[in-house]
Amino acid sequence: MDHIILLPVALPILAGIVLLLKKEYEKRKSLLLYVGIVLVVTGLLAFYGILTANKGVTLFYITETLPIYFKADMIGKFFASVVTVVWILAGFFSFEYMKHEKNEKRYFGFYLITFGVLLGLDFAGNLITMYLFYELMTLLSMPLVLHTQKRESIMAGLKYLFYSFAGAYMALFGIYFIYKHGTTLEFTAGGVIEAAVLRENSGLFLVVTILMLIGFGVKAGMFPMHAWLPTAHPVAPGPASAVLSGIIVKGGVLAIIRVVYQLIGVDFLRGSWVQTAWMILTLITVFMGSLLAFREPVLKKRLAYSTVSQLSYILFGLSVMEPQAMTGSLLHVAAHAFIKVALFLCASAIIYQTGCTRVEQLRGIGKGMPITLWCYTIVSLGLIGIPPTSGFSSKWHLAMGALSAEIPVFSWLGPVILLVSALLTAGYLLPVTMQGFFPGEDYDASAFKNKEPKAVMWVPLVVFAALTIMIGIMPNILTDMFMAFAETVM
Amino acid sequence: MDIIRNFPCLSILLSMFTAIICSALKGKGARRLSTILVMVVGILSICTLYLTGATGQSYVYVMGHFPAPFGNEIRFGTLEAGMALFFCIIMLLSLAGGRKKIKMEIDPHKENLYYIMVDLLLSSLLALVYTNDLFTAYVFVEINTIAACGLIMISEHGRTIEAATRYMIMSLLGSGLFLIGICLLYDMTGHLLMSNIHESIQMIVNDGMYTIPLLVTIALIVVGLAIKSALFPFHSWLPDAYGYSTVSSAAMLSSLVSKGYIFLLIKLIYRVIGFDTFLDSKIINVLYIFGLAGMIMGSVNAIKENDIRRMISFSSVAQIGYIYMGFGLGTTAAMVASVFHILSHAATKSLLFVSAVGLTDVSGGKKRFEELTGAAYRNKIAGVAFTVGALSMVGIPVFSGFVSKLLFAQAAIQSHDKLLPTLIVLAISTVLNAIYFMKTVIRIYTPSHGKYDSVAMKEKPLYAITLVCFIVLNVVLGMCSEPITGWIIKGLSLFA
Amino acid sequence: MNTWMLFLVVLVPCISGALTPVIPWKKRTHMMIYLETVVIINSILVWMMLFNRPTDAFTLVNFTGNLAISFQLDGLGTIFAGLVSFLWPLATLYAFEYMTKEHHEKVFFMFYTITYGVTLGISLADNMLTMYCFYELLTLVTVPLVMHTLTREAILASRKYLYYSIGGAAFAFIGMIFIIIYGINPNFVLGGVFDPATVALGKDIFLLVYVMAFFGFGVKAAICPLNSWLPQAGVAPTPVTALLHAVAVVKSGAFATMRLTYYCFGTEILRGTWAQYLIMAVVIFTIVYGCSMAVKETHIKRRLAYSTVSNLSYILFGVVIMTPVGLVGALSHMIFHAFMKICSFFCAGAIMHQTERHYVHQLDGFGRKMPKVFAIFTVSALALMGVPGLCGFISKWNLAEAAVESGNVLAYLGVGALLISALLTAIYMLTIVIRAYFPGSDFDYESISDVKDPNWMMILPLVVFVIGMVVFGLYSAPITNLLTAIAQGSF
Repeated sequence: MDHIILLPVALPILAGIVLLLKKEYEKRKSLLLYVGIVLVVTGLLAFYGILTANKGVTLFYITETLPIYFKADMIGKFFASVVTVVWILAGFFSFEYMKHEKNEKRYFGFYLITFGVLLGLDFAGNLITMYLFYELMTLLSMPLVLHTQKRESIMAGLKYLFYSFAGAYMALFGIYFIYKHGTTLEFTAGGVIEAAVLRENSGLFLVVTILMLIGFGVKAGMFPMHAWLPTAHPVAPGPASAVLSGIIVKGGVLAIIRVVYQLIGVDFLRGSWVQTAWMILTLITVFMGSLLAFREPVLKKRLAYSTVSQLSYILFGLSVMEPQAMTGSLLHVAAHAFIKVALFLCASAIIYQTGCTRVEQLRGIGKGMPITLWCYTIVSLGLIGIPPTSGFSSKWHLAMGALSAEIPVFSWLGPVILLVSALLTAGYLLPVTMQGFFPGEDYDASAFKNKEPKAVMWVPLVVFAALTIMIGIMPNILTDMFMAFAETVM
Repeated sequence: MDIIRNFPCLSILLSMFTAIICSALKGKGARRLSTILVMVVGILSICTLYLTGATGQSYVYVMGHFPAPFGNEIRFGTLEAGMALFFCIIMLLSLAGGRKKIKMEIDPHKENLYYIMVDLLLSSLLALVYTNDLFTAYVFVEINTIAACGLIMISEHGRTIEAATRYMIMSLLGSGLFLIGICLLYDMTGHLLMSNIHESIQMIVNDGMYTIPLLVTIALIVVGLAIKSALFPFHSWLPDAYGYSTVSSAAMLSSLVSKGYIFLLIKLIYRVIGFDTFLDSKIINVLYIFGLAGMIMGSVNAIKENDIRRMISFSSVAQIGYIYMGFGLGTTAAMVASVFHILSHAATKSLLFVSAVGLTDVSGGKKRFEELTGAAYRNKIAGVAFTVGALSMVGIPVFSGFVSKLLFAQAAIQSHDKLLPTLIVLAISTVLNAIYFMKTVIRIYTPSHGKYDSVAMKEKPLYAITLVCFIVLNVVLGMCSEPITGWIIKGLSLFA
Repeated sequence: MNTWMLFLVVLVPCISGALTPVIPWKKRTHMMIYLETVVIINSILVWMMLFNRPTDAFTLVNFTGNLAISFQLDGLGTIFAGLVSFLWPLATLYAFEYMTKEHHEKVFFMFYTITYGVTLGISLADNMLTMYCFYELLTLVTVPLVMHTLTREAILASRKYLYYSIGGAAFAFIGMIFIIIYGINPNFVLGGVFDPATVALGKDIFLLVYVMAFFGFGVKAAICPLNSWLPQAGVAPTPVTALLHAVAVVKSGAFATMRLTYYCFGTEILRGTWAQYLIMAVVIFTIVYGCSMAVKETHIKRRLAYSTVSNLSYILFGVVIMTPVGLVGALSHMIFHAFMKICSFFCAGAIMHQTERHYVHQLDGFGRKMPKVFAIFTVSALALMGVPGLCGFISKWNLAEAAVESGNVLAYLGVGALLISALLTAIYMLTIVIRAYFPGSDFDYESISDVKDPNWMMILPLVVFVIGMVVFGLYSAPITNLLTAIAQGSF
């Protein structure tokens, strides 16, 4: 039954292709029914696979030595569950949201395909399979970015594409070397390259690693290749920007985890200049992202900058190379995914209902859309890191890990910057809540009256808010798992 | 068989007598007679070739049975006989290809004069090829010059007369130097027969006497003949002479006259001076450098040229550079290559001249390139022929030029210090050749819109046949080079 | 299998091509059937021969001395002959449809078919002389094809093509002479024909000659300072640009450099010398240069031509790594690039044929109007970029593998260049694709209502190529094994 993990990969891809090739549906309802069924079935299959599958599956060999190989290990399963949850909920959200966009069939087609590709990325068992799905993810998510076909979004789509490819090719450079010197391309805890080989070519491998970090870091919006993210995410239709910002960027994180912890090996990297450089890059990104978000008046753009910053929290945790920090990072993967998707969906709901995009237009919105704004507020608190939300526990672990890593300077500098950034986060997220609920005595908020969206839109928001709080209250279920994983790879 | 031994002498005398008879005939008769003469001489040469080839040795024919020092000798081996045959073929084809033009461009009353000159030219060429006597050689060099001058200026207009004058002056300068050289040789050795001089020179060299006079002599002879055969930088007479004379003249001048002198030079090198003495003389380095310079400069000038005939003429300068470069390499293999190039260049250059005239004729008689646009569509056979000639010159396989290039390059590899310059200049020269010849080929195949009338092949059967023969000759030289090089090697070994 | 078959397959297209303008055709269809039959039969003959290889060489004529025009089928030749004979019938089919809008068809098809024979001649040549002869002939028979439209542009292009090719051959000639004189063996031998002791006498001259010959043959493979003829030659009708300037002619150049490097001079002698470094540096530069120019160019065919410049240098890069693995990389890119590039050129040709549009910015919204062509174009674009699952990835993988394995620092740099070029490829190919599919929300589809997919004669070859790209991309083990066997001399 190990082949079960292929099903959730294949089903949405095929279903999406079928959808794209089909003629237009006459009734919108039947389209939605089709998409809904595929989403749910895929979700069930994915969870079934996550719970049961353990062994690897080799599909076929593209060359003698390059198998397309799937294996659901712990980290893959974790990412896959996050993806599944978010994808299904955001999918339902789009049922309503996409009403006012054209070309729905194309949107849902690519939405389904990307779902499958993401699951494939998570279940990939070796580097080459992962690279395959990584490239496909870029290509197939691009139509989501430029869906509206405005000039601005087409340019953003191209930018997204070319940044991503630049990153992928940097990573590919490293793949060639790992393939040559490694014993296998399969992900193995502790690395696949023998220590002697690494020592012999240490200079080469350090360069290769930093290239791969920056390369895969493109997707995760890491400085210096972050510029595409604030351009590309906001121009997509609401739910699409939500999954782009919440999920697809995590593809980069996953790839970096695979490379650093499961291919090159942390023992080799710890203490090297690569680690230092990586930490510097992530901290710069954390701070810069928050600062830019703070200055940004357009809500969706602000959220995109926030993604830049938050992703580097995760990467910082990984760069410390310490089990607890890594636990924090992984927890933040889930936390940020749910929170950022929720935030984007809130912003989309607001745009959908009122057409407002800029923060200052949202004064008094809480009067008309209380559920939406409440959800926004809860997840915002999560992102800032206020207990009892998921953000708090993830950041706690991050900071603790950094402090206990005993790296000169960075052990304390890291947490300080994280803290400053958290303050900035509060600074850029909370004004919406404040002004939304308390527009001031004499402000006329009647424009927002009865703008609360339909249930199909607000239910996902509530679910995400609930998840944020649940993880915050009971992080141990996850952190124990992560700790165990972190111990194996370090 | 013995009677064949008389054939070389007979053919020389026959051509001289024919010249005399022609003076009494009208144009048409002279033409027929001369054509028959060339054919007969060709047949005689075939017999001679057969004889020498069958016996594998060379013969000395003593004229009038007077022994040296009073007598006059003819000596012939396979190479001489073959060369004579080849000259006849080219001459026949050149005359046939240019017949119409001769009629058009020459005053009908003077047509017989033209054929007199042709006959004289043939006789002098044969004499240069066969003679074993230095003074005879000189005499026929002069006859050759005069005949060539006549051929140039027979179509009277300002350009040809000027060209002929220039040719005359340069040629006489060359002959003068040559004559002084012969005088010095006679002075040193006391002989005029080549074989005797050779023996004496061997003695002189062995004794270490007369080193500087000998060097000067060699220099004078070589330079004299080089001027006459238009080695760069003594080529200034050539473009006008070839460019403005009637086409048969140009073809014959370029492929026969200059080749006659070169053949004489080869003969002198082997039979008089001695190949080893020649190698030691350092003159070969001078020849080598001038040869290389000629290969480049001739082509550069040709690129600049805007007149198809003059372009082809400049190309001759480059090709003669090849031949002298072969001398300069100073190996037997290079000599073989040079001799082969004499053949291949003669065959190709006359083809080019004859086909070029076909192209200019259908372009209102204008020789400038812009007028030639699309000429190959108007006169198809000339277009094809010109293309073949051009490809051969560039050195494309299948055609003769490729084989000579191959031989030159192979020879170059045997001499270590001259290896790289030779190969690189060969390559550059190929590129330059490609530039001007291919430019022309593309030009004549670029369509133009009905400015001039086209001409059908049937209207000029003789012309078409001539061109086909030329093409076949070229391809034969290119494809069946094995027996020909074998024959050259054998001939050269009989030479010494 | 009889050895004269080797010559027969060269001769058949030449003769039947030459007959084309002579035969008085009643209908165009008759000529089409005749030519297609000839080409297919010849291809079948070639493939029969490939599977049942004649063991001996076939000697046609003795040129001079010990030199002969002779033919032999070895591993390398198998690949090239197989490739060419597979593509030619498809390209001919495409050409029939394309040429309906052009003039002088008979002359065109004459040279088009003759070129087939000449290209086979190059692939089957047994020694340098034979290859050189066919190499020169290839130049000559393809010039009329470039000149075909007889516009001023075409004339200039063909002139340039001639100068460059003949000039290149002149330098290759030097190398040929060296091989003929100093080589122990007149024929191609994997590993080289030179005696190391002889080479040691004048190694620098030897290397200089190698460099000259490499650049000489490199002209046809559009190596950097000598590449400008290729984009200009794009004025030719598309079947020519696609088949000749993406496959037959340029690959002949690359093939010749393989022969030169692996089968004549020998990699053992060349590896690690300044000659290798010099050439590799130039090749790496060309890879990036070609792509950058392609990004700059807005004429579709010229853009693809610059892309060819870059991709050919991929092949040369594999060649110049000078290891068997490098040869595998070079050969695999030779095959796969043929598929990808001919496919993208045919798509461009289909666009030009159907709509007379030549520039990238005129393609807005075509994705919806020409769905088949653009779907195929997208696949070929992705393949050229090297997206995994398509054949371009495999060949890049092989090349990079060879470069990494060689342990040569410059080769590492080359891997970087490959990847930069991949990114630039993404830029110049995907901008076309995105333009076609996403013209912008306010785009007026009425303005291109005349645009539609071409008929089956154009689509069929495209579909075959796409299938090839996917199949090779997903399952390349057999072909890589074959190439490895060839590179190690065991095939």
